[in-house]
Amino acid sequence: MGLLTILKKMKQKEREMRLLMLGLDNAGKTTILKKFNGEDVSTISPTLGFNIKTLEHRGFKLNIWDVGGQKSLRSYWRNYFESTDGLVWVVDSADRLRLEDCRQELSALLLEERLAGATLLVFANKQDLPGALSKDAIKEALGLDDIQTHHWCIMGCSAITGENLLSGVDWLLDDIAARIFTAD
Amino acid sequence: MKIKKTHSGVADDFRSANMASEAKLPERLRRRDQQRQEEAERRRDARQGGGESAERGDVFSAAFSSERAAIEELLRPDAGDAAALEEAAARTRRLQRLLTDSAASMAQYELKQAQEALRRLQGALDGRREELLPKKKFAFRSRRAAGTDEAPPGLPERPRPAAVDGAGPVRLLGRGRAAAGVDGVRLLGAPSTVHIKHVRDCEVLCGPVSGSVLVDQCSGCTLAVPCQASCAPTNTTDTHIYLQVASRAIIEDCSGLGFAPFTWTYPGLDADFALSGLDRRRNNWDQVDDFNWLAAGRPSPNWSVVPESERRVAWEEDPADSRV
Repeated sequence: MGLLTILKKMKQKEREMRLLMLGLDNAGKTTILKKFNGEDVSTISPTLGFNIKTLEHRGFKLNIWDVGGQKSLRSYWRNYFESTDGLVWVVDSADRLRLEDCRQELSALLLEERLAGATLLVFANKQDLPGALSKDAIKEALGLDDIQTHHWCIMGCSAITGENLLSGVDWLLDDIAARIFTAD
Repeated sequence: MKIKKTHSGVADDFRSANMASEAKLPERLRRRDQQRQEEAERRRDARQGGGESAERGDVFSAAFSSERAAIEELLRPDAGDAAALEEAAARTRRLQRLLTDSAASMAQYELKQAQEALRRLQGALDGRREELLPKKKFAFRSRRAAGTDEAPPGLPERPRPAAVDGAGPVRLLGRGRAAAGVDGVRLLGAPSTVHIKHVRDCEVLCGPVSGSVLVDQCSGCTLAVPCQASCAPTNTTDTHIYLQVASRAIIEDCSGLGFAPFTWTYPGLDADFALSGLDRRRNNWDQVDDFNWLAAGRPSPNWSVVPESERRVAWEEDPADSRV
């Protein structure tokens, strides 16, 4: 039994995952986190630092890190990259003006060495707004089809109604579990 | 003698008590005892034979291969349409989960085999999806092209709302000075979100916004915005904001901002407030966070409260209202 096997066995026993949630400001990261956790989402202020939530889902222990997306905070994102199993990229689908910003920030993240092993889930949030872009349009705008380095998936969702949040996280868990807990 | 007798007496008492309780032992208890013994026996058998895990492995591999065959059937080129593909994808995911769950009890070789099979399945699935979906992709492109014609973000020299659709998001884009001589914009109604960008020396009065208001690169403006989620001006200077906000406002790279409570009103404002779901009683207009001023205790130099004497009280009517 090699060291790696022992480490994997340990991780398997704990069934613990670390998810990092990033995106531009006003994308809805904190709202998604709170909604997923079943909290009130009507009075959420812009995140001045970060929020951490630990929750149990499907027998996994999830450590979810939600870091503020304001321009002045983005340089701190890299402090949170270490040992991230899954990256959740949240997009405000109604914010057409900043899609290019959004694309650039995401592609910079994907070059990051410490995120190389992470699975990417893109939430096209705010699908409940009438003028929101579809998830296909977001996929095109962010150039997701060109991503070769990460497993990825895009989900249209709404943090207000809760639509698709669960299926997105389920996909992420399945992908990470397949990678960490059974990889040879 | 006496002692002996006593002894036997006790023994007799015990025996008789025992018999009596046995007779009275409820049927239910006896059955449970029997079950327990059977269970113990079965467990002992399993330990001796060591056959249980092998058996479980067989069950797993049988289930795995039959499920795999079923998915392959679904993925055959003549087998079907998008629905079949979706089902195949869902079943592949379930299969993956099954493998993940039983990985701990599997032999290394079996695990590898199963993973290899799953990989092939996933490959076939992707291939099939490629075959089926190009049509959809093409349709989507043409739709999007039509969409951009309607609402091009950032028409030059047009400080008017660039896109007003239903209760949807509103984008207000200015380029340079308000060229058309427009110095006031009224947005009546309850938009979901408002973006105000590149607007100079302009008065923007807005109905209750159910989401957030973003203000970017504006200067010399007067804004009146009630909103639910957040009000976030960035790169904005010398602007007065008459604000109603349920959470907090946050500013970044701004200077010379003045905040005051929202006072603008128009006929139908109350109905719009009800529509947007905003609570008028909860207003944190003076709770402003500044990203460029994190020192607690000392007020940020980038914003201030507009003194009551300087606040606007009368908002003249503008005939060029745009109903959102």
